[in-house]
Amino acid sequence: MSTTAVAEAATPGGSKEEQEALQASIFQRLHPRAYLERFLAEGFRPDGRALDAWREVSVNTGSISTADGSALVRLGNTTVVCGVKAEIAEPELDAGARGFLVPNLDLPAMCSPRFKPGPPSEDAQVLSDRLTEALTSSGVLPLESLCIHPGKAVWVLYVDATCINYDGNAFDATLLAMVAALKNTRLPVATYDETTRRTTCSRKEPRRPLELGRIPVSASFGIFDSNQVLADPTAFEEPLLDTTISVLLNEGSGELISVSQFGLGSASCDALGVCIAQARAQGKRARI
Amino acid sequence: MNASRPIQISYDGLARVDGSARFSFGDTVALASVSGPIEVRLAAELPSQATFDVSVRPLNNVPSTESKSQAATIRSAIAPSLILNKNPRTLIQLVIQTLSPTSTPRWTDGLLAAMINSSTLALLNAGSVPMRGVVCAIAIGKTRDGELLVDPEEARVAELIQGGCFAFMVADGAGLESNSTTVWTNWRALERTFDEMGLMSAREAAKDAIKGVYASMKSSIMPERIGHGDDDKMEI
Repeated sequence: MSTTAVAEAATPGGSKEEQEALQASIFQRLHPRAYLERFLAEGFRPDGRALDAWREVSVNTGSISTADGSALVRLGNTTVVCGVKAEIAEPELDAGARGFLVPNLDLPAMCSPRFKPGPPSEDAQVLSDRLTEALTSSGVLPLESLCIHPGKAVWVLYVDATCINYDGNAFDATLLAMVAALKNTRLPVATYDETTRRTTCSRKEPRRPLELGRIPVSASFGIFDSNQVLADPTAFEEPLLDTTISVLLNEGSGELISVSQFGLGSASCDALGVCIAQARAQGKRARI
Repeated sequence: MNASRPIQISYDGLARVDGSARFSFGDTVALASVSGPIEVRLAAELPSQATFDVSVRPLNNVPSTESKSQAATIRSAIAPSLILNKNPRTLIQLVIQTLSPTSTPRWTDGLLAAMINSSTLALLNAGSVPMRGVVCAIAIGKTRDGELLVDPEEARVAELIQGGCFAFMVADGAGLESNSTTVWTNWRALERTFDEMGLMSAREAAKDAIKGVYASMKSSIMPERIGHGDDDKMEI
C-alpha cells in the first residue's frame, strides 16, 4: 500500500503531499478503527463512498470455453470467477426425478494475505454453505428440470467459484457470479437408452439453456458501532464491523426472499429495517 | 398463538468438562458442553480477550460444511452475551452434539434453537465465564393461511411458507420488555416472498414465546426460588 511513499519520503526534502500521505497510511495501519471513525464522522468512508453507496459491478459471461457456463464478476476490486460443469449421474432412490446442484466457493491464498494455502478455511466453508442455502431457498433452479430419465439419469451441475482478488463482500459477488454462470449455461440434449442403459448427448442438436426460477440478488451491509449501516463493506472495513446483515431479493420483482445476520455483534431492529429499505432501493437502481 | 413443544432441560454432569446441559423442544434434542477458561494454542491466542471456539457435531457422519456454518451461527448468537475480556489469552470451548435426526433438510431451525438454548445453559452450568445476559432462541413458522406457529412440529413443516429462528438476549433486571434485544435472526421465505410487516410480526411472536423458554431455563436452575421476588441472597 505505502511502499512507494516510504521510498520517496526517505529522501530528504520529500514533498509535503508525500509526507501527509505517508502519515495518513501509517495512521490507517496503526489505528484502523479511529481512522474509520474519523471518516464516518464526516459522512464518508475511506474509499470516498457515502455510507449507502455501492461499488461498480461488472459481469462478463461465457469467457471460459471448456465450461458449460461461466461468468466473471468484479465488485469494486473483489473479483470472482465462476464455472459450471455438468455431469450425468444416477439420482437418489427417494428423489428419482431430481438432479443435483453443487455450489462451492474457494478462497485461495492468492486473493488475500489473510488466507493461507491448504485445505479450505472456515470462511470458505461457511460462505459455501450460505451460498447453497441462498440458491436452494430462492428456487433459482428447480431440480426437476435436470431430469433426463426418471430413476436412471439426471444432470449434476457443479458450480465452482474462485475468488481471484478479495476486497470484501465476497458473498454478494459470488452469488452474482453463480447466477450469471447459470444463466449462461447451455446443456446438450441428452437421451437415455433403455436397452443399452446408457445416456448419449446429441452433437447435432443445439444446446439448451437451463429453466431458471426466481433469480436471487444479494445486498450485504455491515453494522459499525451498533448503529451505523455501511453498504457493501470492503476488506479494510470488514474486521471492524460488529455484524453483517445480508438481504436476498428477487431480481425481477424486488421482493424479499430472506434476511440473515452473521457476525458477533447484535443489530437493533432499526438497523434491520434500514438494511431492508436500502436493499430495496439498490435493487430498483440495478434494474434500471 | 400456540405454545412451543414441551421443553425438557437436564444437566447431565459430563465428567471431563466444566459444564454441560441438554435442552429439548419435544423430540428435537441438543447436548452442549463448555470448557473454559482453559489453555489455548498459540496460534489462536488473543492478547486482550478469551478465544471463543464453537464446534457442532451432527448425529451421523463426520462434521460437514453445514456443521461449520451452524457453529458460526451459534457463535454469532452467543458471543454478544459473553464478557470475554475478563480472561485474556485463554480458550472457551463450546461443543454441541445433536441428538435427534432432522427428517426435513429444509427446516433445521427447531434444532438450531435447541442448540443455542443448550449452549446458554451449559455456559450457566459451568459458571466460569462471565456473562452479561442469557441468550434464548425459538423457531417461528408461518403457514399458507397466515397463521404464525411457534416452534412448529415436524408434521406441520410441510405447510410453512416462511420461517426462521430468532435469538434474544435476556438480562433480567429491569424486566423482560426492556432488556430482551434481538441478537440473531435468519428469516426467509420458503416459497414466494415475504414483507417487512411479516418479519416484524414474527419477531413480536418470538419475543412473546421467549418468555416461556426463559421461565423454563430459570426454573431449571433455581427451582425453589421462583416467585420469591427480590430475595436474591444465596443460602450456602
